[in-house]
Amino acid sequence: MLSIPIERLTLDNGLRVNLSQDPTTPVVAINIWYGVGSRNEREGKTGFAHLFEHMMFQGSEHVPKNRHFELIERAGGSLNATTWFDRTNYFETVPSHHLELALWLESDRMGWMLPAMTQEKLDNQRDVVMNEKRQRYDNQPYGDWDEWIQAMVFPESHPYHHTVIGSMADIEAATLEDVAEFFRTYYVPNNAVLTVCGDFGRDEALDFIERHFGEIPRGGEIPAIPGEQSLDPVIGTTVRERVEAEVPLPRVLIAFRVPTYTSPEFYAADVAGSVLGTGRASRLYRSLVREQRVAKDVTSFVFPLTSGAGMLLAWATGFPEGDPVELETALIAEIEGLASVTEQEIERAVALTETALARQIEQVGERADLFSMFDQLFDDPERLNSELERLRAVTTGDVSAFVDRFLGTDNRAILTYVPEAAKKTPTPSAR
Amino acid sequence: MSAQSRSVVPPAGPVRTFDFPPVQAEVLDNGFQIRSVQVGRVPVVTAMVVLDAGEGLLDHGRGGLSVLTGDCLEGGTAKRTGVELAEALETIGAGLSVGTGWDSTTVSLSCMADRLDEAMSLLAEVLIHPSFPADEVERIRGQRLAAIRQREMNPADIATTASRRLTYAEGVPYGRPLGGTAESVEPFSPDAAAAFVAARYRPKGSGLVVVGDVDAEQVRSLVETHFGEWAGETELRPEIDVQPRTSERGIVVVDRTDSVQSEIRIGHVGQARSTPHYFALRVLNTVLGGAFTSRLNLNLREEHGYTYGVRSRFMVRRGAGPWCVSTAVGTDVTADAVREAVTEITTLVAEGPTEEEVDAARDYLAGVFPLQLETTGQIAARIAELLIYELPDDYYADYRDRIRSVTLDEAHEAARRCIRPNEMTVVVGGDSAEIKGPLEELGWGPVTVEEAP
Repeated sequence: MLSIPIERLTLDNGLRVNLSQDPTTPVVAINIWYGVGSRNEREGKTGFAHLFEHMMFQGSEHVPKNRHFELIERAGGSLNATTWFDRTNYFETVPSHHLELALWLESDRMGWMLPAMTQEKLDNQRDVVMNEKRQRYDNQPYGDWDEWIQAMVFPESHPYHHTVIGSMADIEAATLEDVAEFFRTYYVPNNAVLTVCGDFGRDEALDFIERHFGEIPRGGEIPAIPGEQSLDPVIGTTVRERVEAEVPLPRVLIAFRVPTYTSPEFYAADVAGSVLGTGRASRLYRSLVREQRVAKDVTSFVFPLTSGAGMLLAWATGFPEGDPVELETALIAEIEGLASVTEQEIERAVALTETALARQIEQVGERADLFSMFDQLFDDPERLNSELERLRAVTTGDVSAFVDRFLGTDNRAILTYVPEAAKKTPTPSAR
Repeated sequence: MSAQSRSVVPPAGPVRTFDFPPVQAEVLDNGFQIRSVQVGRVPVVTAMVVLDAGEGLLDHGRGGLSVLTGDCLEGGTAKRTGVELAEALETIGAGLSVGTGWDSTTVSLSCMADRLDEAMSLLAEVLIHPSFPADEVERIRGQRLAAIRQREMNPADIATTASRRLTYAEGVPYGRPLGGTAESVEPFSPDAAAAFVAARYRPKGSGLVVVGDVDAEQVRSLVETHFGEWAGETELRPEIDVQPRTSERGIVVVDRTDSVQSEIRIGHVGQARSTPHYFALRVLNTVLGGAFTSRLNLNLREEHGYTYGVRSRFMVRRGAGPWCVSTAVGTDVTADAVREAVTEITTLVAEGPTEEEVDAARDYLAGVFPLQLETTGQIAARIAELLIYELPDDYYADYRDRIRSVTLDEAHEAARRCIRPNEMTVVVGGDSAEIKGPLEELGWGPVTVEEAP
């Protein structure tokens, strides 16, 4: 059982604060989770949470454009942010004597972002985001898989129906008004968790936090997530799509609705996902890659989502002349076979997760992100220390029951990519 | 707190010193080098075997042999089938991964500290007694061929592959993709893997780096137990040839019809790890394209919005690796982006960086050093570098001082010596019908077009 120290308190304006000290290396991480992500976007505004994340780096009242990056890089720090379905996180890791700098920068954009916003900055970041979409999705083989899968697994009325990157038409239409409204609605201390992790003095850190974040006014109530969050636990049928695209190899993806991260049944789903696809002793690797040789690579993982349902996803990439139907049959056979999971398999899955978690928390930035997550999603940062116990408690019976209930033909979204008729004959690349 | 005081950047607190953790060095009787570092933040250990078995040793005809041999280690040992090996490792939560580069092959293990004995025994078994069963070798060769097919259709890889080929003269290893080509991978066999292992997976000439919650004495005893019986000496390395393909500047379009973006690579032959300009180049490259606030990124991304990001890298290797600026930009702004990038590079070389930029780059690189040494894996990789490039064990003790002591003149000198704008090859993977004309209008150099693979 892990025992990372953690102290939690709440400022008067509603900002939740987690402090976790570890003096072994003179670095400190700060991490903020805002309780807003793509699920909060309304129709016609998809992709906005992520565009807004970009705008958060465009300066604030007391910090000119590029200054945030300059100051953190100059301090010898690293920084970034990511947008996801249920949240947006911002983080810096800095040498420990620069803690106040990082807190001041984060507080300035939490409290004083809007005065720095201009049309020019918005136009610039719209271009950057559109290039991000082209680079990471449009100009990538299989790059649009999540757009297909999310639309197949979640109904149009559900907030997970659309992707985080969103629609480019919606991004084009975003205005400064939208930026201001989004900021006032969601970027408020009562919708945020701040975690400080690493080498720092407790009282000094609290003093910095009070001074820089304390005067930011509490915001209003956070509006309900748009659309219909509750949904049937299963899709109701097998949904299929076949995409002919400029891809090198056939690939079959299969996704299932699964219980949310906040549901006790989630852990059986997580273990099932690991038994299926984590490691070379996993069922998919052993069967599809090593024995049957129908797949070049295999993957499976669970999306730990919290609105209505999460997702378990598995995929297998075939060989150039391979038959996608054969690939799908092999993939489904292994998924259905999971009902006969053994204790040894669960032990392996948990052992691999334990090592992976231990390696993750070697970095204070990762630790801070986990504490923020457990606070934001579970109202309980301590939960990090007991997370492995919940995985260890999963039995073969739990996994079998999960497989019966959630991995059947009434809950499948199957997406098949097939290479479009070759435009040219491939030639060796080194000449 | 008043509005005025908010405007003041908070001062830094007292600096806490950071020292690279002490490295214990030993050599086994068989010549196997041991380096260990005890860090106890989390009860995990990374053990990394470093072999003088990089792709840079191999001519084009054998390209990919080192990568494939490394991949085939999962095929099993004299004692275990591949499945049994995977189960033995994963039952104790251990991960085994093989990394092959131009200069080395590393076989790394990570596990909880209390499983280290069993894990180390498996690591030794994999290295000393790999079995290369024919059917496993055949499977893994097939996977590699499929991966090559994927690479040949990935827009970023297409541009990078063309850039390397156009950077180096015919036959230079660095001019081909790391994992080889369909032709060079075709003849791979169990015998080829076994012969490569016999020549290059030998204790003398190799080393083991162990970092984590374990002391030097335990490490020594574990290594003696598991690697003591290993014998032999790694064969000498051939000299590496790094002739450039050309010294003329030019633009090559690799045509991908209807491409939604252009993948741009700008560069020429760069520097070896042993370059006397190493520290000055790190500073110089940070100014040019190694950080978010570098000139290239502030121009192409933050000012013009041409791209999601752009970077410059000197890939220092045993021989002179490539220097390359890379980015992906919108098709309609391709020529503009090339013009801006070339102008930034040319201006930096001609005029040099400013004192303020050099100062900021030094602070960044010196400050970020401890952040890059938080994990056992990061520390192990740094120490592996010392073994690969035959650097002294105390190399990192004054690393930050050496960064901080780089002067403006040294950074400018490094730019003039290591970047030659008139010899750059610009590779653009994109839609020729849209971009060829505007690239010609730049008037920067001749534009040629080739078909994508």
